[in-house]
Amino acid sequence: MRRIGVLAAMVVLVGLLVWAGVYNLRQRRAAMQRAQIVLVKDGTNPPAASGSGSVDVSELGGESLKGKVAPAFTLVDISGKKVSLADFKGHPVVINFWATYCGPCKLEMPWFQEFSGKYQPQGLVVLGIDQDEDMPRDQVATGAKKSGVSYPILMPDKDIAKNYALGDYLPQTFYVDKNGTVVEESVGTPTKDEMEANIRKVIGL
Amino acid sequence: MGFGSWVFGVVAVMPVALLAQGISFGDAPGASAAKKGHVVFISDGAVVEAGKPEVIELQFRVDEGFHINSHTPPDALLIPTLFKVDPGEGVKVLGEEYPKGAAFKLGQGADAEMLDVYQGEFRVRLRVVAAKGAQTLAGTLRYQACDHAACFPPRSLPVQVAITGK
Repeated sequence: MRRIGVLAAMVVLVGLLVWAGVYNLRQRRAAMQRAQIVLVKDGTNPPAASGSGSVDVSELGGESLKGKVAPAFTLVDISGKKVSLADFKGHPVVINFWATYCGPCKLEMPWFQEFSGKYQPQGLVVLGIDQDEDMPRDQVATGAKKSGVSYPILMPDKDIAKNYALGDYLPQTFYVDKNGTVVEESVGTPTKDEMEANIRKVIGL
Repeated sequence: MGFGSWVFGVVAVMPVALLAQGISFGDAPGASAAKKGHVVFISDGAVVEAGKPEVIELQFRVDEGFHINSHTPPDALLIPTLFKVDPGEGVKVLGEEYPKGAAFKLGQGADAEMLDVYQGEFRVRLRVVAAKGAQTLAGTLRYQACDHAACFPPRSLPVQVAITGK
């Protein structure tokens, strides 16, 4: 009787291991298929082919805000003035998370500067939110100035990274339409053309 | 079929079950990359002459496709790679020597920026004096990693080196 019990336990254990392995394999294949769908959506080329370094947030295991209302915030800019997302209600807004140590961030910031001027007639607002750890405002201002930007640069609070589900990667950018909905988001530096396409999409052009 | 045969059969199936588990090991590529530090310490311990200044090398490897700033990046806002020695007894560090970085072009055309980086393997040389016997040198490598399109926050990699003074 004892032998049968031991044997039954072993059979159950092996069965469970096989089931768990097959289940995980199916999950992994499904995840890979989803990733492939993300890479070719909207008729764009995969990043490797297009030269873009931007990837979808969901590929990195992060939570996507696409289709959701952009989390509200009130932060202080580098001059000490309070700035709220609500201040720009009715405007398309680009929210770009960056840091002074981030080379790719500094590469794309002049493009944001250029497009903030180009699409100003359409009401475009660009906001940069710094993600340096405990860096004084004047140093952040120095970094922004070196990148040649004049759009508002905001200092982070303890909640902003969590509310926007930021991962470890920078830059990370959210394109918010005039209704306050996140229409596009990107991690890493896109090509300039991709950036402009996202901006035009959020403006509704 | 006897009990022994049943047990043998079950045990024979075990590798298949374990293999099935092995298939699922590891996260999706992006998720695992996000958890990694992108730099590993790969040196073995060192044997030195006790009581005399000797040079030991701390060898690190940066993951393929990534780079970290060298000890002397071209911009003050960039975070240099730095090895900080923890206070301890048995090993005294007299000096540190960092390798030269390699030029790395970020971006293209007029927007490009030149960086000074470590890629692949690099070695930090320490001039040390160790007491006789088995000693441990502890410290932290502080660095900041990027790939061609994104960066990660600064990280600190704890390092322990077994040094035998003879």
